[in-house]
Amino acid sequence: MSRRPTLSAFVFFRSVSLIALFCIVIEGNASASETLPPLSHRFLTGPLQESVSEVPDFQRHIGPLLGRLGCNGRACHGSFQGRGGFQLSLFGYDFKADHAALLDQNAGRVNTTDVDESLILAKPTDADAHEGGKRFEMGSWQYRVLQQWIASGASFSGELQSLQHIEVTPKEIVFDKAAESVALRVVAHWSDGTKEDVTELCRFTTNDDSIANIDDSGLVRSEGTGDTHVVVAYDKAVMPVAVIRADTHSTDRIEVPPKSTHPIDQLVDEKLSKLNIIPSARCSDSDFIRRASLDITGLLPSPQTVTAFLADNRADKRALMIDTLLNEPSHAAWWATRFSDWTGNSEAQLNNYFPVRGAASQFWFAWLEQRLGENVSYDKIVEGLVMAESRLPDESYGEYCETMSMACREGDEATFASRPGVPQFWARNNFRSPDERAVGFAYSFLGIRIQCAQCHKHPFDRWSKEDFGQFASLFSSIQASASGVSRDARVERDQMISSLTGDTDLKGGELRKKIAEAVQDGSVAPFPELVVIQDFRVRAEKEKNADKAKSKKQQQRAAVVSGKILGESETIVLHDDPRSSLMSWLREPANPYFSRAVVNRVWFNYFGVGIVNPTDDMNLGNPPSNAALLDYLSDEFVRSGYDLRWLHRTIVSSDTYQRSSDPNVTNVSDTRNFSRHVPRRLPAEVVRDAVYLATATDEESQRCRIDVSALAIGGQLDSYRSKDKDFALQVFGQSSRESNCDCDRSDQANLLQSIYLQNDIDMHRRLTQSNGWVAKTSFELTGKAMRSIGESNDRGKKDQAGASLRKQLLGRIASFQKQPLPRQEQLRQKLENELRRGNERLIRLGAESVEWELTLSEVNPSNNIAVSPSILETADHSLRFREWVDSAYLRTLSRYPDAGEREIAETFIRNAAQPSEGLESLLWSLLNTKEFILSH
Amino acid sequence: MTQNRTCDGLVRRDCLKVGVLGVGAFTLANYLQRATAGDIRDAKADRAIFIELPGGPSHLDSFDPKPDAPDTIRGKFKPIKTNVPGIQISEHLPKLAMCADKFAILRGVSHTLAAHELGREYVNTGSRPLASLEYPSFGSTVNMKLPTDDDIPGNVAIPRASQGPGYLGIRYAALETNSVPKFSQPYQVRGLSMSGGISVDEIHRRQSLLSKLDRRFASVESDRQLLDGLDRFGSQAYSMITSPRARQAFDISKEQASFAAPFGEDSFGLSCLLALRLVEAGVRYVTVQLGGWDTHQDNFTKLSTDLLPKLDAGLSALFNGLEQRGLLQSTAVLATGEFGRTPKINDRTADGGRDHYPRCMFMLMAGGGVRGGQVVGESDETASAPKHEAISPDDVAASFYHNLGIDPAQEFQTESGRPITLVRDGKIIQQLFG
Repeated sequence: MSRRPTLSAFVFFRSVSLIALFCIVIEGNASASETLPPLSHRFLTGPLQESVSEVPDFQRHIGPLLGRLGCNGRACHGSFQGRGGFQLSLFGYDFKADHAALLDQNAGRVNTTDVDESLILAKPTDADAHEGGKRFEMGSWQYRVLQQWIASGASFSGELQSLQHIEVTPKEIVFDKAAESVALRVVAHWSDGTKEDVTELCRFTTNDDSIANIDDSGLVRSEGTGDTHVVVAYDKAVMPVAVIRADTHSTDRIEVPPKSTHPIDQLVDEKLSKLNIIPSARCSDSDFIRRASLDITGLLPSPQTVTAFLADNRADKRALMIDTLLNEPSHAAWWATRFSDWTGNSEAQLNNYFPVRGAASQFWFAWLEQRLGENVSYDKIVEGLVMAESRLPDESYGEYCETMSMACREGDEATFASRPGVPQFWARNNFRSPDERAVGFAYSFLGIRIQCAQCHKHPFDRWSKEDFGQFASLFSSIQASASGVSRDARVERDQMISSLTGDTDLKGGELRKKIAEAVQDGSVAPFPELVVIQDFRVRAEKEKNADKAKSKKQQQRAAVVSGKILGESETIVLHDDPRSSLMSWLREPANPYFSRAVVNRVWFNYFGVGIVNPTDDMNLGNPPSNAALLDYLSDEFVRSGYDLRWLHRTIVSSDTYQRSSDPNVTNVSDTRNFSRHVPRRLPAEVVRDAVYLATATDEESQRCRIDVSALAIGGQLDSYRSKDKDFALQVFGQSSRESNCDCDRSDQANLLQSIYLQNDIDMHRRLTQSNGWVAKTSFELTGKAMRSIGESNDRGKKDQAGASLRKQLLGRIASFQKQPLPRQEQLRQKLENELRRGNERLIRLGAESVEWELTLSEVNPSNNIAVSPSILETADHSLRFREWVDSAYLRTLSRYPDAGEREIAETFIRNAAQPSEGLESLLWSLLNTKEFILSH
Repeated sequence: MTQNRTCDGLVRRDCLKVGVLGVGAFTLANYLQRATAGDIRDAKADRAIFIELPGGPSHLDSFDPKPDAPDTIRGKFKPIKTNVPGIQISEHLPKLAMCADKFAILRGVSHTLAAHELGREYVNTGSRPLASLEYPSFGSTVNMKLPTDDDIPGNVAIPRASQGPGYLGIRYAALETNSVPKFSQPYQVRGLSMSGGISVDEIHRRQSLLSKLDRRFASVESDRQLLDGLDRFGSQAYSMITSPRARQAFDISKEQASFAAPFGEDSFGLSCLLALRLVEAGVRYVTVQLGGWDTHQDNFTKLSTDLLPKLDAGLSALFNGLEQRGLLQSTAVLATGEFGRTPKINDRTADGGRDHYPRCMFMLMAGGGVRGGQVVGESDETASAPKHEAISPDDVAASFYHNLGIDPAQEFQTESGRPITLVRDGKIIQQLFG
């Protein structure tokens, strides 16, 4: 229901309360169907003892009233140390504790014999000096409510009543102009059937005070055009109310793009028409191919792909391209990067879990990459993390260790990816305690931040401290530490260790080093196991300090721990593995978070803003900007069987995704309703790879697109040693994956990024590498090698190491080519693996990689460029320059230059001292344009 | 006009350097032009160093000792005398005690945000955080109000800044070094060195080509904050790369050994030295971070063996160094964490810990017009609350800006045209400047 309120409606509202002041006497026990009027009406009549017999309820009235008066705010008695010796639970809802604090015998806060002497009446009326000042007048309704509650015994039943919901009217507010206002009315519906107007007991907030403001009484006032929500909180309930004010620009001269039948477009258009916003036109083909390629695969399209796509005349070429992109290996890699962000795949947090460093996080990545490449359904992928076991059914501990040891050897990384689960998910250092797991689990799979409720009632969601504690308990029986194995494997593990260490008694780092070496040498090392303890019990906190022998006994007597899933009433007792209950809850079609969280995150990847934003904060008080859209996508996603490719395809094929970044007057400031493409800085890995591909030869670039392991999206540049982290990835804000926040990844621009692109040694190296695009291209024309930067000794040892490794690898290729053919066949696979690993190491050392193509013949490695004499002889430089310029544009901006740009660029190369210098400068310039670093 | 500076005073070294190298443009003529334009005022300070202590340092165990409080509150440290009669600080700050005349201690600073992020946002902006609006860090405001030459960054953070530029836009974001200087190792910000082997001429040629080709978003009206920010960073990077000024300032190995010695070998001390060199070279605002103050556990061991000695050495060397170079008068210094720590010691570890406590904390201010050697404000007997009127982060921000000649009551506009007062509720603390 939407209504357009007017000022008079508001005045009417106010006068009702005035009338109530004088003449209405209402008894508290209204019938179930009737809505009780507000407390202020019921308690503001003559001398209290004569007119009011109603006893206020602690949960329904006293608690919320104290909240509304500001008593339990953080600045006051809600502080964790209390204030003036009096502490209330922050944001209320810990009724037991609050009641106990109020009734503290020695404090005199509540005095049932001499009611008016009670401090909770004397202090807030400032009769007794109150640091918090005067909160209400003597004799006011607030005073009378508290007074009557005390007089009638100041009781609290101890049992929580359950609030069904709150009904807020109007449900949606549509304003016409600034300064209009409308008052909200809030009715609480309790499960015993009673209804009560609780407007004056609610907490009100606005999500954007530049659009709408709300005061303490629930009066909403229009500030600017656009849309937002005001949020009402009472008891456990949190309810957002949409506020909207349309844009007033004339739309006469704006061309309205054709209507689309795509469900996304229809739902977006519906919202836009309410706001009087006209969306931008569809983007050009070159914008589309670049944008779709970057968003779907994390890579720039190859120049060949762009050329072919632009020349393609088929009407459905965009749809065809989407399918092509979804099948690229880079799609799986880039999305494995994003899934790694959300699931917290951090080597720093997994340090030392597996005996070989780096293995735990790389296995995790490869496992995701394989599944995304095969389009395994989302729920199955999550199941592999949540339900992970270390051993396969029927696998012995010895067999398990053998497989894992093998997987840790270079070249055999794929072994792990084919196993059913990722037990290291549970072994992260920041995912150890039940509380941490509750927070991390909710972050990864529910897209919500429940950590607030760890200490107090969540201010913008329904979670109480109790809910948090119950949920966290569910995670207590799952154990995953570097030294943990199941009971039956302990002896075997100890034997393995002693056979590896001999007589020496190694500990900690020394032991790990020894084991890691043994694994590389081909030995089998012991691996840790995830263990779920059956019938899990803990002794109570207090007994921890007690006598040990005694507490052991008590431990045996302690009950099996139990907990509850968020928002569920059923108690789960930890007799066996609680994870299956969690998993089936995630899969329930009615689960409010599971599918919405991932749909929203995928959407974010394509638009730079979520339908709920931030994407990891899907709380009640932070509703979607387009609820119908999020509902549609998540419902259909579930119906599709959690088919991620369906989701990608559906989003990317909409006009909404394909909007131009050119705005019109109505949508120029829209950033949350998807009426245009909002440019954003490319993500760290994408920038790093875009520079890499733009400066590499076509052959190298093609190789990387098939085998992405040399690229940042391939997940292997991530080092566990912070000093070895790829510098570009740091500067451009790669996710640290450590704090359960999507904000661990940054898309902000900064000065250092510009300095990097203009003058970092990495950039100069890539532009001038002897087997890079600039060198090869200019060599074809001039036959002259260009200078190469970075082989100077400015980086000392690292460079030397790189140079010598490079030489070594080139030597291996040369000797391979000298072998007879049958021998080559035998050696090829092994050498390819070695070269690939070598190149990865070279990249880490900041050195050029070796380019290779192992053909089974007696040819030279492609490093030695065979110059075609015909080019040199017939070279028409102008024609060649034109080709260069086109190619430079296609490999950076994924489009052809226009006539003006072509002229500028060609002239520049012609006037350069060396064509190679001209070309290098041109490529440098294009890499430094905004068009390169931004999506558009 | 007590401190109307000329090149003769504080910026002499810059002028000399510029004169010798002939690059950059901080000339006297340039200076006078700006002085008349009102950018360089009769004000006290025109640059600042912000010492950020993320985690929230314990006030009781550092600058607000309570020797007479019960031992569940007092803690294990004893107070010592300083070179200012009547002022006592923790025994683990002996070097700062010897230069207490150079800085003012603010006690009983108070707010209510006990979460790290929110508290940090509050003390680093002077405005209580709002959900719909991000306030700018001090550094970003200073960067905007007090421009620098393009070849030197206006706002640097070593290694990072907690607070971003908020509504002022990313063009005023700090240059984050991402690394800290290490003892006896050369230090430079990557990308500022000319190790690429490109000549300055070549860079100029490339830049001119770039300016002709970077046209795509030139006329787009939306998203100007991002687009302008990128332009601004691009041209600033260009200036910094082609001039040696910033490079030399960052290279702490250029510092005389005798001057550098008191800064010690620890990275925080060396970061303080770097900060000093940077403000001397004309950088307007430098953030230095020393983290690790979140001492829920083992409070006393961590403070006495690690944190306080580091802070003591680095900060005292900074105050003395600024004075020695004649920079203390022109450099406003503010040191603060996001909150204090609970007076009551928790017993979760044998050594004891203290938890988040915003209601009572300390800050330090120095430089510019701030009178050193005084305590401003006071906490109660147990350092649980301000004894009299509380000092708010807003008041501190207003005073800090005032010290820099920036009117804290001025209005800015957000990108959407919303008017915002720089510091909403702050009063200038007059006693600081008395």
